[in-house]
Amino acid sequence: MTPQALLPTTRREPARPSRVALVRPKKPLRWLTTAAVAAAVVGLHALAIEGTDFKPELLVDGWKGMAAFVADAFPPDLSWERTLKPGLEATLVTLWIGLLGTTLSVPSALLLAALAARNTSPHRLVYQAARAVLSFFRAVPDIVFALIFVTAVGLGPFAGVLALICHNTGVMGKLWAESMEEIDAGPQEALRTAGANRIQQVANATLPMVVPQFVGLLLYRFDVNVRSSLVLGLVGAGGIGLLINQSIKSFRFDSMLTHILIVLVLIIVVDQFSAWIRRRLAA
Amino acid sequence: MALSVQGLRKSFAGRNVLTGVDFTVSAGEVVAFLGANGSGKSTTLRCVMGITPPDAGSISIDGTPLDSLHSGDLQRARQRMAMIFQKIHLVPRRTALDNVCSGALARIPTIRSLTPLLFPAEVQQEALDCLDRVGLADRAFDRVGRLSGGQQQRVAVARALCQRADVVLADEPVSALDPHAAEHVMALLRELAHTEGLAVAAVLHQPELALRYADRSIGLLQGSMTFDLPSTEVTAKHLDTLYAPDRGVSDRNFAA
Repeated sequence: MTPQALLPTTRREPARPSRVALVRPKKPLRWLTTAAVAAAVVGLHALAIEGTDFKPELLVDGWKGMAAFVADAFPPDLSWERTLKPGLEATLVTLWIGLLGTTLSVPSALLLAALAARNTSPHRLVYQAARAVLSFFRAVPDIVFALIFVTAVGLGPFAGVLALICHNTGVMGKLWAESMEEIDAGPQEALRTAGANRIQQVANATLPMVVPQFVGLLLYRFDVNVRSSLVLGLVGAGGIGLLINQSIKSFRFDSMLTHILIVLVLIIVVDQFSAWIRRRLAA
Repeated sequence: MALSVQGLRKSFAGRNVLTGVDFTVSAGEVVAFLGANGSGKSTTLRCVMGITPPDAGSISIDGTPLDSLHSGDLQRARQRMAMIFQKIHLVPRRTALDNVCSGALARIPTIRSLTPLLFPAEVQQEALDCLDRVGLADRAFDRVGRLSGGQQQRVAVARALCQRADVVLADEPVSALDPHAAEHVMALLRELAHTEGLAVAAVLHQPELALRYADRSIGLLQGSMTFDLPSTEVTAKHLDTLYAPDRGVSDRNFAA
């Protein structure tokens, strides 16, 4: 007999008998909670379907209309003078609106974020006030800001830039305030024990700690703002949005498709660019 | 006496964490605080530093009771104590030099402390000298995040030196470090105490480190002191009383 044959191939029993019984603690309420949450989610969706006239059969019946629309758009109009050149120029304007709308809102967003973060705000009342201001700028859609500024500075990209500055201050200020609240409070406490005043603590511990998050959020907002400036074009703030609107109104769906393709390229380029920067920051 | 503490009491939500702690730390001396988790070691240091306000007790620095001082004077007296943390609490993205400079913020006008580019040249020179004293002058312009844990803790010691502190309170300074780095940091603290006259109070989790590096060891058990002896006189029996409650639990779990 070889030595291997002496070894058992399978183990029939546990190595030793259990000394502890497996009894899961019973939690009857957990079942009830799960059922209640599930019922609530289903109920809310039923209400939402009712409230939005959500009827998929309409989509099935109306496919011909869509097909005609898409057929009109093909092939895209690639004539340089009539569509491509104005499209590219307008896209550049859209990009500029998104860029200025993002960067020019940095000072106001930074100030409000520092006042609206619990760990950097000088006082509870200031904190509440800063939160309220941020909520206001966030709650008013950029398109409403655009309409307001159009009445002041007239139609054109400048109104779009002003609108984005206002709305982006609200959104980026809140995102920045939250990322400041989430960072490790240790370095700030260390500087407090060393006798640094509040401004010194923020400038030398809190802010340098959140720089990567801040830049990441800034790039994300740049990405969003370029797309928003597209929509702002629809209400007269210039850029490629305006051209898309005009081509729809004049039934030039082939031009519209060209403009949309240009926008697609722009969005991909902006997205890749910000992803590249974020990778370099993380390294 | 660099630091003298009497009758320190603290309770959190009705639970007594410190029930009358008295001790002194002289210039040139390393004092270790030993005890199980929850015995009040860290709370003692945090109360002394003023991070956690104590319920009662008197804290004196060089014979001056802190409760006799007000605002500006109190602030200045407190700054003679520096704290070192288990989690180090440096800014990883900044250089070692900039982190050490931040220990001197109380001496820098606010407007010149907004960015390291504006730090006064003499503060930067002093910070470099402090890094030299902890043996890291050659890493001054490296980002702290690229240094090892032990090097980071030495940068934190340099920051305390740049604060010009006479008393260093170290809250588990080596608990997060590997054994070699822990030895290095403890040796540094002892050297700074013995050669430069710093008063060091350190909470330690490893009794053997305390007995080797501290001149005196204080045992805390459930918020009160069980012994305060030269480290050479601390015996295994003393240590047993400190960690007995902990061991009782593990005995039950691992009983065959």
